[in-house]
Amino acid sequence: MNASLDQRWLASTSHSPGALQIRELSKHYLLDGQPMEVLKGIDLRVKPGEFVSIVGASGCGKSSLLRLIAGLESDYSGDMQLDGKAITTTSLERGIVFQDHRLFPWKTVAQNIAIALKRSPLTRQEKALRVAEHIRLVNLQGFENAYPHQLSGGMAQRAAIARALITQPKLLLLDEPFGALDALTRISMQRELQRIWVQHRSTMIMVTHDVEEALYLGDRVIVMDARPGRIKYEIDVDLPHPRERHAPRLQELKEILLTELAGSDADK
Amino acid sequence: MISTASAVIGSRVSVGHRMLALTWLISPLLLLATWALVAASGHYSAQLLIPPADVWHTFKDLLHSGELLEGAAFSLRRLASGFVLGASGGLLFGAALALSKTVEVYCAPMFHVLRQVPSIALIPMFILVFGVEETFKVLLVTKAVFFPVALATSEGIKAIPRSHFEVARLYRLPRYSLLLDVVFPAAAPPILTGLRVGLTRAWMVLVAAELLAADSGLGQMIEMGRQMMRIDVVMVGVITIGLIGFVLDSSLRLLERRLFRWKAIKE
Ligand SMILES: Nc1ncnc2c1ncn2[C@@H]1O[C@H](COP(=O)(O)OP(=O)(O)OP(=O)(O)O)[C@@H](O)[C@H]1O
Ligand SMILES: [Mg+2]
Repeated sequence: MNASLDQRWLASTSHSPGALQIRELSKHYLLDGQPMEVLKGIDLRVKPGEFVSIVGASGCGKSSLLRLIAGLESDYSGDMQLDGKAITTTSLERGIVFQDHRLFPWKTVAQNIAIALKRSPLTRQEKALRVAEHIRLVNLQGFENAYPHQLSGGMAQRAAIARALITQPKLLLLDEPFGALDALTRISMQRELQRIWVQHRSTMIMVTHDVEEALYLGDRVIVMDARPGRIKYEIDVDLPHPRERHAPRLQELKEILLTELAGSDADK
Repeated sequence: MISTASAVIGSRVSVGHRMLALTWLISPLLLLATWALVAASGHYSAQLLIPPADVWHTFKDLLHSGELLEGAAFSLRRLASGFVLGASGGLLFGAALALSKTVEVYCAPMFHVLRQVPSIALIPMFILVFGVEETFKVLLVTKAVFFPVALATSEGIKAIPRSHFEVARLYRLPRYSLLLDVVFPAAAPPILTGLRVGLTRAWMVLVAAELLAADSGLGQMIEMGRQMMRIDVVMVGVITIGLIGFVLDSSLRLLERRLFRWKAIKE
């Protein structure tokens, strides 16, 4: 990634990070005709440009929360707003990256990324240019014409991140984006995400099972509890970015978080 | 030394490959040999069991006189018109059946009953309604193609994982793009299988229709041969029909392989 390119890329984008406000959000699914509370009374405010990590036991409703914010779920109670606008359905202002990359297997990397621009008023050339920029942003030069099955897990996930970023969403949701990757790839992907976030400055909310990852990236870490899913605990990570992975402060916070998480397991 | 050794190994591998490529020839050759032997044994009259060499002669005669090609051209023209009609109809109807609740509620039961009716069973009715001319044969082919294609399209689309549709919703793809970029590519493999099934069935029922009522085509050539006790002509017809069916199916299979290069090769 060369510097002049970064500059040009930044100059060409006019994104403003979004402020998210969630009040009294509850959601239930029907399981064998019985209502099952998945989320109950979630209150959450995310500042523009903030990076929020969410951790919590499996099944506590983290994915459900992100899907609700993305607009993929209907039928909930409560109130969700992005920059004061109520969230009712999906929108290009809110991007999401899933644990599985969800690229279309019949499209190449470039085509997969370009599909996010279907609704964009840009000309064909401008779109091609922007796709090329985002391929460089996630370091996939040379793989424009590769099909997803020809990519490694990490590369496919980077393509998915490029696809989510190309619409310049005000809010990017990440649901265990590196969950399926090996430890080394994970660490380099975290570094890349950090770099992209610093550069891009959109608001990000990331769900992860990895406490270190949550602390390394997040301005704030939220611990969720299960049955019904709710916010149990919040911790501010008062360190500037980019961070030193082994900073003593992160170690302290990790201890605290692990205790909280263990507590929520013991409750059950 | 090393280079000659590897050359030897290399040639052995390629010989092995060539042998493997030719194994398919064993069964037809065996059949041919048995046929020739039984015919030569004199147990059956040469009028009924024609020796292969005679059939070969008849084949060359029919080829030179143009009769064979003309018959094949007539049959293939009917097949092509019916196939285009049936395949496009099947694609559209199958997609509608999978994507629209209304269409499903109104049409699904009737569709599933009708598709159980063998095309051959429709020949008498089609003749009564449309006469014995081209319309009846083309429509019969259309019917034979329509149902497998419609079924494969609808099942193929219904089997598309919800995650693909969610991605389409996230990026707010317009309807045309949802169909062209997501639905049809995702369902293309089963649809192509449906097309292959439809083509094979259509070819079979077309020949049957030509046997019963036609003044041209390969089926009619066979029927004429039977009436004149020219079993050699009958056999040339039968073999040609088999070969054409095989070539048609193989070309679709080839298309399948070229089209689905995005799929991981499972070997
Ligand atoms: N479509 C659905 N229908 C019924 N129940 C569902 C549905 N989706 C999720 N659930 C239930 O909601 C609960 C929360 O699921 P969710 O996927 O949000 O958990 P999670 O915190 O993301 O878990 P994990 O960490 O394992 O990904 C689970 O108990 C799950 O069984
Ligand atoms: Mg989850």
